[in-house]
Amino acid sequence: MTFVKGYLIPRLIQYVLVIFLGLTAVFIIPRLTPSDPVNRTIIQLRSMGSYLDPASMNAFIEDLNELYGLTGSPLEQYGAFWTRLFKGNFGVSFFQFPTPVNQLIGVALPWTLGMLLTTTVLAWILGNIIGGLAGYFGRSRWSRVVDVCTMIIRPIPYYIFAFALMLLLAYVIPLFPVSGGIPIGRQFSWTLAYFLDVLKHAFLPALSLVLLGTAVWFQTMKLVVQNVNAEDFVQYAKFGGLRDRKIATRYVIRNAMLPQITSLALSIGQIFSGALITEIVFSYPGLGMLLYNAIITGDYNLIMGITALSIIGITTAIFVIDLLYPLFDPRVRYQ
Amino acid sequence: MRKSLFFLVSALMALTLILSACATPTPETVIQTVIVEKEGQTVVETVEVVVTPTPKPREEAPLVLDKLPREQTLIVGQLTGRVGTPTNFNEWVGWKSRDRGMQNLANEPLWSIDYATGEIIPGLASGDPIYNADFTQVTFPLREGVAWDDGTPFTSADVVFTIETLIEFEGFNAHNFMIDNVASVSATDEKTVVIDLIQPNSRFHTNFLDRWGCTWIMPKHIFEKVEDPITFEFNPFVGTGPYKLHSFDPNGFWTIWEKRADWDKSPTGILFGEPKPQYIVFQAFANEGAKILAQLTHQLDAVDLSAEGLKAALAQGDTIRAYQPNYPWVVNNDPALTGLTFNTAIAPFDNVDVRWALLLAIDIADYEGMAVDGAGTLSPVHIPSLGAYPDFYIAPMEDWLSEFTLDLGNGETFKPYDTDAPQRVVEYARGRGYVVPDDPAAQDQAFGLGWYKFDPDAATKLLEKNGFSKNADGQWLLPNGQIWTIEVLSRTDTSHLSFKNAAAAVQQWKKFGIDAIHVPSDNSSQLAYTGDYDVSGEWPAQEPWGAGADLYRVLDFYNSAYVEPLGTITTGHTSRWASDEMDAVIEKLRQTDPSNTDEVVATGIEGLKLLVQEMPGIPTFGYIGFVTWDEFYWTNWPGAENPYSQPYVHWGPFKYMTPFLEPVS
Repeated sequence: MTFVKGYLIPRLIQYVLVIFLGLTAVFIIPRLTPSDPVNRTIIQLRSMGSYLDPASMNAFIEDLNELYGLTGSPLEQYGAFWTRLFKGNFGVSFFQFPTPVNQLIGVALPWTLGMLLTTTVLAWILGNIIGGLAGYFGRSRWSRVVDVCTMIIRPIPYYIFAFALMLLLAYVIPLFPVSGGIPIGRQFSWTLAYFLDVLKHAFLPALSLVLLGTAVWFQTMKLVVQNVNAEDFVQYAKFGGLRDRKIATRYVIRNAMLPQITSLALSIGQIFSGALITEIVFSYPGLGMLLYNAIITGDYNLIMGITALSIIGITTAIFVIDLLYPLFDPRVRYQ
Repeated sequence: MRKSLFFLVSALMALTLILSACATPTPETVIQTVIVEKEGQTVVETVEVVVTPTPKPREEAPLVLDKLPREQTLIVGQLTGRVGTPTNFNEWVGWKSRDRGMQNLANEPLWSIDYATGEIIPGLASGDPIYNADFTQVTFPLREGVAWDDGTPFTSADVVFTIETLIEFEGFNAHNFMIDNVASVSATDEKTVVIDLIQPNSRFHTNFLDRWGCTWIMPKHIFEKVEDPITFEFNPFVGTGPYKLHSFDPNGFWTIWEKRADWDKSPTGILFGEPKPQYIVFQAFANEGAKILAQLTHQLDAVDLSAEGLKAALAQGDTIRAYQPNYPWVVNNDPALTGLTFNTAIAPFDNVDVRWALLLAIDIADYEGMAVDGAGTLSPVHIPSLGAYPDFYIAPMEDWLSEFTLDLGNGETFKPYDTDAPQRVVEYARGRGYVVPDDPAAQDQAFGLGWYKFDPDAATKLLEKNGFSKNADGQWLLPNGQIWTIEVLSRTDTSHLSFKNAAAAVQQWKKFGIDAIHVPSDNSSQLAYTGDYDVSGEWPAQEPWGAGADLYRVLDFYNSAYVEPLGTITTGHTSRWASDEMDAVIEKLRQTDPSNTDEVVATGIEGLKLLVQEMPGIPTFGYIGFVTWDEFYWTNWPGAENPYSQPYVHWGPFKYMTPFLEPVS
């Protein structure tokens, strides 16, 4: 009962409040940008070669405002936004009219989730294990070699790093495809061949993310471990004659993991924004490009759809970590 | 550690060199099919030409996904990138990435423009539209023997249904145009459509004339069963072109089209014969590096690149060729004109003397060298110097241009036209080590007939005449004494000619003493259309049709009826310039039969003279395209030595190129 009243309910209220404020901001902010979806649609049509008769243009603008649901006052539009949201509907995309936002997100989301969830968790596990051991056994030769490697990899701009990988493994040694999520002509099917194709296409983008991600987690973990290593309780354990492996795993790494777990939760929440540069370099499907295009074209509904997902993802991840934290750290209690 | 790294890098470099040195092509003479015009008729002929060296594939061509034989499959890049609405083929509503093969392969318009040949090709139509005397009625004659790709015959009922449906439903791109223009539409027989117009309109048919887009005809037998044609996805797509939809990527990266078994029931088949590729794939890439790598590994046959990308691809790929075999390599006959646009709704750009002063402060050879390495064709007027336009307009205007005089103040005058300007670009190109032909006609074609003098003194006098002055640091001051700052807006894509023009202008004006700033913006189009800018790298004039002499499309954008207040999107040209004289020219053109070349040219010249006098935007050089073709699997591309068709895969007449492509054995 104390857990529910003193711990769960306040956090639940905080969770709902953050989502409400976040979604309200998501409704307001795109409308403050200078990008107007109707204007952008017309400009897009004109810049793409469509000859829209200037004499008929004003009537066309009115039609588009009506079709896009932009005719009411901001308050009316805000009301309609929440009504739609409670039904799980973000409306139609303006720029990709009349495709529903849910459909666009539905197509892109599995690629983003598949790629980023896997690479984020994999990089986290690798980075923390290697970083933890390298931090504890800092004087060993292998630890210094790994340290130098990460120091070389981490400062390389991601675009350059990813493109270099592509150049090496798709052109010089053509083991992997240059671009795309699936080969030309392949349609979705529950077959081994389809999934092998998907894995083959995902390998290079995943490798780029895992290598850089591992380097980042490695360096952070190593630093935290080095700090924990200097704590009194670790020194006490050493003086007490405990074995190195036990000190490393039970005393040092376990304590050093706590901030890493929080960071992992935030990273997982952020994956709903996609990985824009990865998608650009490898022409890989996902939410990043969808969001970028939505922003530059003023596609309010699509921006709201993706960022709402991101807000809910991050707040939920934090909420879950908040609930689980006492399990990782016995010093924290449900009160 | 260091040694291992050194060996690894060396091994990779050696491997790259070996790969790039594999093929040694030899020149060859082949028989090719070309389209030529003889006594006003388009005929197909065979000629003997030397083609770019093309090594033969040394091993059996692979399959594309175990299904499509690579040697029967043409893979081309999609200009506008990934399709945002892959399942939606309803091209009558909004933007549907129609260059994924809809407009350029699977659909036939009533007419289309091929700017390379200067032809208007009748597709679904069997000839020109026929207007009555006062342009209140137009008759469309339709082609016999055409069928939709599902086998249903194409008839006049499809055209009538299309126009009536466009009128009935709000939300179609052409809805308001049809509402404003069509009184009634009827079919007098299976192959004739008569349209009564609400008001005289001598250019009504141009709404159906494909110049990178138009109003297409709907298949009545499909759309008549649809309750809401605005939200209808039209999937699978059904068209009258020689290819039909095979499959597409739900993520929008590729679309595959397959040659129809009854290709001879498409206008392409009827006019030009059987298309050669069995399959055509449109593939989108999110970055240029991937495009180049795909082409170097023969996974991409034709693609548009940037200037830098073109040079990289040519340098690395033995089987890759550009539109022109030598400098400047680029496609320089695209019917668009680049340059700078002034926002004439704000000071000081509302002053024609200021606009002319800024033009005279530009050294065009230096400017063009910086922008496009001297590769563009100069034009002194607001249409590109390509195709028939120099003969129709620029050459006949040269006397007038030579006599055109500016008033510099204090009784001093100045004639700005300079027939030597292209020579200065030639010298620039030679200075860069490029081979430039000595033949004057070839030089005129490549570099233009003339431009304007670089005369900072004349520019200074024009500005001083209007109260501008310079401070002790040599910076120009506005008449109110403030430092004159010009923000030059452009797109952010550094390879776009909007960016390149803006960057070059900033350099020129800085040298002249103006505090010029380049402002690239992702929102540049909207800022330009709403008038929130000083000067922009947007095109200084609307693009002309690219065939025929008619300039109505260019001049009508300066119609005063379209000028909106600042902050509101303008429906005309972004310069917001208009005048009573131009309105009169536009009205005169509206009363002129577009096929009456003499009258159209005479009125067009009047309009162009007004634009030179008022200079609402500075025309610099024609649009240049950076096309590369890989000749590993396919050859007989319409290069500069054999321009039987326009060269792009994204323009509508790409479908008319397909019967002439040849597979490499």
